[in-house]
Amino acid sequence: MKKLLLIIAFGMFSNSYAQGCSDAGICSIGNSFQTTDKESKNGIEAGAIFGTGEADVTYISPYLTYTRTINERLSLSSKITYSVASGSFGQRGAFGDAFLIGNYNWKPKSHTQWSSLLGLKIPFTSSNLKINEFSLPLDYQSSLGTFDLIAGLNLNYKKWDFNTAVQIPVFNNNKNSYFREFSNTDDFPSTNLFERKSDALFRTTYTFQTTTKKFTFKPNVLFIYHLGEDSFENAFGQRETIKNSDGLTINGNIIGAYTINTKNSIELSLATPFLVREVRPDGLTRGFTAGIIYKVSF
Amino acid sequence: MKRIIFILPLLLLLISCEVEGDLTRDVELTSPIPENTPPLATGNFMPTSGIKVTGSAKIYLNGNQSEVRLEDFSVSSGPDLKVYLSKNDTPLEFVNLGNLTSSTVYSIPTQVNVSAYKYVLIHCQQYSHLFAVAQLSQN
Repeated sequence: MKKLLLIIAFGMFSNSYAQGCSDAGICSIGNSFQTTDKESKNGIEAGAIFGTGEADVTYISPYLTYTRTINERLSLSSKITYSVASGSFGQRGAFGDAFLIGNYNWKPKSHTQWSSLLGLKIPFTSSNLKINEFSLPLDYQSSLGTFDLIAGLNLNYKKWDFNTAVQIPVFNNNKNSYFREFSNTDDFPSTNLFERKSDALFRTTYTFQTTTKKFTFKPNVLFIYHLGEDSFENAFGQRETIKNSDGLTINGNIIGAYTINTKNSIELSLATPFLVREVRPDGLTRGFTAGIIYKVSF
Repeated sequence: MKRIIFILPLLLLLISCEVEGDLTRDVELTSPIPENTPPLATGNFMPTSGIKVTGSAKIYLNGNQSEVRLEDFSVSSGPDLKVYLSKNDTPLEFVNLGNLTSSTVYSIPTQVNVSAYKYVLIHCQQYSHLFAVAQLSQN
């Protein structure tokens, strides 16, 4: 049973969501509440997510996660992301971010289990990748270039999980230099020296299994509130607010996991947004995502 | 061991090099100016410390569009060089005309009062480092 729980836990470690928050970090954060069992101290997860973005942009975003269980309460995870964006500007890919997250499970009660997490997001780029010296919108950047603090809380009640989290940019190293007026298209807003506001997340997940317990399904709904309007520096060196870039996004996500054995599982994830913000300059919006993830514990 | 063999290729996949394809979007083209059109202002570039630069900046009125043209221009390479039309010899009050590219023509937004700007700067925005300054004088 413990091993099965381990696989389930791994199965929840990373999801693909249709509308990003900050580099998809906060979107998969609920999974970090799950920890490995006592028998396996290590877990590795490798995944690749295909997504469609704004205008004609498509993405392939592989990632790798390593989780180390310190003791029955505490675990540490690290994650590295990579992303290749393809669209009318061309193709551009690079490493995105590193995530370092600690998860603490509080003493379980009869039907409930609280856990909390604290983490950092460290960008690998300053969000100013170019093609042939031409500046690209954030939709083509593999990272937003912000160092973020991530904090969250999870309540597990029977087959339900309730996550809440915040992702706060604490240091902005975004050096993007994209101007709409120099680009011959109105598909993307200007994001020169972009400054981003925080996100808050709430997610509800219901987990059920087939009788053989080989298959696990986890439909979930994710609410993300972008807590303020982002801004950029215009061509005259003045900071300008991007109107209507704050607000609510609601995503639907379904995950199907197949347990190969007690140590290995494979997972498919599909997601799409039901509600999006009016203006989405960060390039994290996806019309649709499909992910495949392999997990192993040892 | 088998797991390591399985995971290693995935790791290598992640640590693949950066991908940079070709730019597939058309860049806005500027129209040529008639021969013998006199510039409104000209200035020769001077480098800042540690930088090499040659050439000049000239401002032309091309129809209703003012534009900066760089002539015989070269500068030390930098990661994020921009062309600024500036009121000062440092980037305090300026108009960002875009990335310094192989193009030699940079359009000035129509709402800009060109005569109020006395300098053309080559500035690295990403690292906030000034590369070169051309002080403009009216012709």
